Amino acid sequence: MLGGGFAHVLSGGTVLHAFWAVLVGIVIGALPGLTATMGVALLTTLTFSMGPNVAMLVLVCVYVGAIYGGSRSAILLNIPGTPASAASTLDGYPLARQGLAGRAMGISTLGSWIGTLFGTLILALFAPSFGEFALRFGSYEMFWVAMFGIVIAGSLSGGDPLKGYIAGFIGLLIATVGQEPNHAYPRFAFGSTDLAGGFGLLPVLVGVFGVAEVISAMRGPAVQAVSSAIDSVIPRLSDVARYWRTILRSGSIGTFIGAMPGLGEDIAAWTSYAAAKRASAERDKFGKGSVEGLMAAETGESACVPGAIIPVLTLAVPGSAPAAVLMAAMMIHGLNPGPMLAITAPEFIYQIVAMLVIADMVKLFYGLVLVRPLLWVLLIPRARLIPIVFVLCTVGAFAITSRLFDIWVMLGAGLLGFVLRSLAFPMAPLVLGIVLGDLLDKNLLRGLVLSGGDISPFFTRPISLVLCGLTVLAVLWSIPGLMDRLRGRPPMRA
Amino acid sequence: MSSSGGGQAGASPRADLLAAILLFTFGVAVVALALRMPTFAEQSGTGLTAPGIVPGFHGVVLALLAMMLGVRALRRGAARAGRAPSMAADAGALLLAAGLGTLYAAGLVGRLPFWLATALFVFAFTAAFEWGNGPRGRLRRLIEAAAIALGTGIVVTLVFEKLFLVRLP
Repeated sequence: MLGGGFAHVLSGGTVLHAFWAVLVGIVIGALPGLTATMGVALLTTLTFSMGPNVAMLVLVCVYVGAIYGGSRSAILLNIPGTPASAASTLDGYPLARQGLAGRAMGISTLGSWIGTLFGTLILALFAPSFGEFALRFGSYEMFWVAMFGIVIAGSLSGGDPLKGYIAGFIGLLIATVGQEPNHAYPRFAFGSTDLAGGFGLLPVLVGVFGVAEVISAMRGPAVQAVSSAIDSVIPRLSDVARYWRTILRSGSIGTFIGAMPGLGEDIAAWTSYAAAKRASAERDKFGKGSVEGLMAAETGESACVPGAIIPVLTLAVPGSAPAAVLMAAMMIHGLNPGPMLAITAPEFIYQIVAMLVIADMVKLFYGLVLVRPLLWVLLIPRARLIPIVFVLCTVGAFAITSRLFDIWVMLGAGLLGFVLRSLAFPMAPLVLGIVLGDLLDKNLLRGLVLSGGDISPFFTRPISLVLCGLTVLAVLWSIPGLMDRLRGRPPMRA
Repeated sequence: MSSSGGGQAGASPRADLLAAILLFTFGVAVVALALRMPTFAEQSGTGLTAPGIVPGFHGVVLALLAMMLGVRALRRGAARAGRAPSMAADAGALLLAAGLGTLYAAGLVGRLPFWLATALFVFAFTAAFEWGNGPRGRLRRLIEAAAIALGTGIVVTLVFEKLFLVRLP
């Protein structure tokens, strides 16, 4: 089936799309203020007239490219191009300041390439069997999957679980606007036919990630590249031989965190970096230009990309924000991710594997040849770039249904996202709430209809019980000091 | 979550308190609206499938979480007398960016031809943010801004409408 997946993706010149899409992704990721989520959302607009196969290849390539591209500005500007690359600044920028910007970019390319390959291998090995297991999930279990996603994203994604939960429930509320699934009653429509149709997923996501980031990008002074002189970017195989344990560990951590609903690449990078520092014999070099530290962060964040696609394909639950937009794009193109994929289109999982491998190879190619042009791109004044991005956001929001209402939704979501960001509310749970709201709503009501109003199946079916227990544990874990008290230790002071 | 733009510095207790009050009010309003929705109990035989159940539940949880946020903000000194939080140094730039974006998306788009609305917005945005670079070279920068604006309006319109067959407002 894997061979069939490659043959399908490589047929008819489709693969050529990978070259421009990865390039667009790298440029978007490299530019501070533009993120992978925004890139995937904007490019979704361009894929409307494409077939599903080409469209998915383009979007996977943009996703893979953007996560990698963020390291360019992290190394050269000390500003992460995407939040996922924040951990890369710790050692990437010090290396660049030592005159080793090329070496740092080589390590970043190598780590990112291996990371995505590692994660893709895990996806190919486990997603099909997990997809078959997910067929046992009914409405009760899917309700808990959605709830667990909100809770785990709220607990871990922003450092303040309380604000994470609030963001998640705001997202869930946004998703309730429009006709509900059982009686087609228009909730919160106030007589408006536009509101009765609900908020489109893409306009909201473009608003939260595009418009809010565009406004935020005008914050602070303009940045300067550390140097225009770049040494050799050719990666050294000796680095792989020397740090193979770090690579394996970071790849595993990155993929696992990717597969957890709503966590994403930044947490994968930070966790991989922290784990590498703890286990390293040269931990005193971390933060001062450590090759191992940079390798760990890059491998972790890039392994997270395929990891985040695993729950999309098997449960219809995104593992990260870009994966959420990717999932929305799959739905737009008539591909229905989730448990039924194992029955309706089992070959699609292997096509995604092939797309990830192709994207990874093209990324490696650009990583080796595309150094100086990217330096020029990084120096484009933001006052000239940002309005163009805003125009693309507007087009992206409008294009799906050709309604001006969607532009207003984008604008409203953007301003809401900007205000929430300014108040330090994390965006990941908000997005997950918006994406999972429909899943939660449908399955809760469907479950209640099936049981005749009895809520006990939500707690007594074996898989439901496990998922319910995990959700409760995640909430308890996030209460400051509670776990210490349960373990009999005095709570740590904040 | 990657690329989610998280990672903001923490907000002040007073800002948290204000947010908590707004969110609590919002949560209560949602619950009130959910209670006014029909139950369709005569169709389903149980009120548990009423349209207001899910948003009502979310509203209750949001109000409770907002209360917790408010209590925490008060414990952290939100009510103590002190200087009101000052506006960020770049607040003007943020307001200008948000204002121009709103003017474009909610005012110009749909009323003017798309290429013209886009060109006007891009020119206004670029000119406004480059105005502070000083009078030296200003004319050249304005001419460049106009060229970029016109180019963006025409290229975006052509690429989306002709190449990608996407309708524009």
